[in-house]
Amino acid sequence: MNDYQILMIDDDPDDRWMMEDALNTIGVEGVISFALNGEHALQMLDSLYKDVRILKLIILDLNMPVMNGTETLDRIKKDPRFKSLPVIIYSTSINPNEKEKCMKLGATSYITKPVSFDESIQTAKTFLSFCN
Amino acid sequence: MGQINDIASVTLENEMDLILAHKRSMRLAELSGLSLSAQTTFATAVSEVSRIIIEGGRNGSLVLCVENEPREKNIIARLKAPNLSAEKVKKGLEYAKRLVNNYKVSTQDYETSIELYYYISPSFRIDILKLDEWRNHFRNEPLVSPYEELRRKNDQLQELSEKVKKSESQYRTLTNSLPLIIFSLDFSGQIIYANEWLSKLTGYSIERLNAGGWKNVVHEEDYELFNLHFKKGINKNTHSIKIQSRIKNSISGDYLWHEVSFTSFKNENDELENWIGYIVDIHKQKIFEETLKDNAELKQTQSELKEQQVAMETVIEELNRSNQELQQFAFIASHDLQEPVRKLLFYSDSLLGKYAPSFDSKGVEYLTIMHASALRMRILIHDLLTFSQINKSEINYRQIDLNELANTVKLDLEMLVTEKKAQIHINQLPSVDGDERMMRQLFTNILNNALKYSKAEVSPVIHITSKITGEYYELSFRDNGIGFEEQYLPQIFTLFQRLHSREIYEGTGLGLAICRKIVELHNGKIWAESKPSEGATFFIHLPI
Repeated sequence: MNDYQILMIDDDPDDRWMMEDALNTIGVEGVISFALNGEHALQMLDSLYKDVRILKLIILDLNMPVMNGTETLDRIKKDPRFKSLPVIIYSTSINPNEKEKCMKLGATSYITKPVSFDESIQTAKTFLSFCN
Repeated sequence: MGQINDIASVTLENEMDLILAHKRSMRLAELSGLSLSAQTTFATAVSEVSRIIIEGGRNGSLVLCVENEPREKNIIARLKAPNLSAEKVKKGLEYAKRLVNNYKVSTQDYETSIELYYYISPSFRIDILKLDEWRNHFRNEPLVSPYEELRRKNDQLQELSEKVKKSESQYRTLTNSLPLIIFSLDFSGQIIYANEWLSKLTGYSIERLNAGGWKNVVHEEDYELFNLHFKKGINKNTHSIKIQSRIKNSISGDYLWHEVSFTSFKNENDELENWIGYIVDIHKQKIFEETLKDNAELKQTQSELKEQQVAMETVIEELNRSNQELQQFAFIASHDLQEPVRKLLFYSDSLLGKYAPSFDSKGVEYLTIMHASALRMRILIHDLLTFSQINKSEINYRQIDLNELANTVKLDLEMLVTEKKAQIHINQLPSVDGDERMMRQLFTNILNNALKYSKAEVSPVIHITSKITGEYYELSFRDNGIGFEEQYLPQIFTLFQRLHSREIYEGTGLGLAICRKIVELHNGKIWAESKPSEGATFFIHLPI
């Protein structure tokens, strides 16, 4: 049974590993699940998360192939089943216009990807705060 | 002696009688079958003697006769005059006697008679009928008195003169009615005749023109040529001359183009008599020609201009495209470079953090250097990204209170300010129109530099002030840092140019290049003044 509370949508395997590693360092396991891009994410949301109450947070990278971050965000927020889910934009750097666009589309907040180990721990803790 | 038959007579009292005497003598000689020259000779002889008689004031007479001898026939002029002196007789006959075949002089009762004989040989018989015919001829001659003769001649002259006048008048009317100026010149270039158009156009009379008036009438630029042809051409016997000159219209005062042409006029003996000149107004034509020429030139210039425009448009298009590509390139490059750089940073940091104990000092040193490089690269890429993203399309103009902005930036740099124990004094700054984010970047970069390039032992003190110069706000950022050589001024605002070695002062060279791009996008100017170790002042002009 799937009770992953966090869905991370990121095409970069290193970034996914980094986050998983950070969470493991804190001592948390089995909380996060991954989608490889927007389309994949929507499929996952559709099939595995029929019961949305379990999912607490979506972490969304912007720079992805097939369907990029902003479009994915838009689709999620327009879907009545998922629109109430908090979405944190998780990106390397962002140009302010892009940030504004995301916030307008309904993103909860925005986090730059960590550049140090300590930062990654900090980020993981932030994400966990959305879970119970 | 044969029969002498009187045919005609003429009284010799005055000059008019002389004419008649001559005339009748000629006529008789003609009737007698004499040739014209013989007639003339005879008549001349008669006239010679008649003249003497008339001159003497004597009331003389002339009788013309015919002697009709079988073997010798003569016409005789018997001239009689009372009290004619021998001297006079001699004088009269002096020439006459040589003209005639024979002559006789006799005096009777104080009356002198001179007879002049001229031999005739008619082809016909001089009989009674012939004689009567001749007498009738002279009798039926319209009896004109000398006075009538004179009057007739006078009338004829008058008629002739009137005809000439009329012809002249017709000529004048004709030439006056033609819409061109006609005149005739003599050899010295003086006008003999001109139709009224000449004075109408020039406002000068013929006399005045002849007295040098042409100079005031012909345009000064054309006068030399005009005069040259006028005088020289006429004297030189060239057949015709044609020139174009500007002549002043006396009414409007405008100089108008006219064609002046001269043609030589030869008389019936093919001798050069005078010159006929014509002056025609060709101004409209000339203007039209010039306009056409101008138009043609204009058309050409226009088409050349169009060509250039098209060429320029192509170039602009090219530049735009190239510019766009560069922007895109810069953006993509820096954007896509960020990922791997981030990873580098992360893992080198992780190694240093978590695994430092596993490395020897050398290993740690290597890792530190690697991490530092990655860090620099990150800043560089970030700056590049910022730079490439500053363009016109990104500007959102808004009223910005620069005091507020300066204080915000001061807060942003709080850590550095505290670290350096710096003071930033913000004096009364104006509000300007601009993009808030860009302005913030601008202030940040300048203040950052001011803090960064401070003297080691001296706490940085920065003054931000403003004033108005002409149409600009002039902002100045004065620091007490290490300063720079002003000869490097152009370089410090260029991409990637740095003046100090990396060990001492951190940072890339992009900061001021970004500042310049922002300022120029806002139609302003940025420059700096400095002396090494005496701090630096950065000036920014922003339009009001």
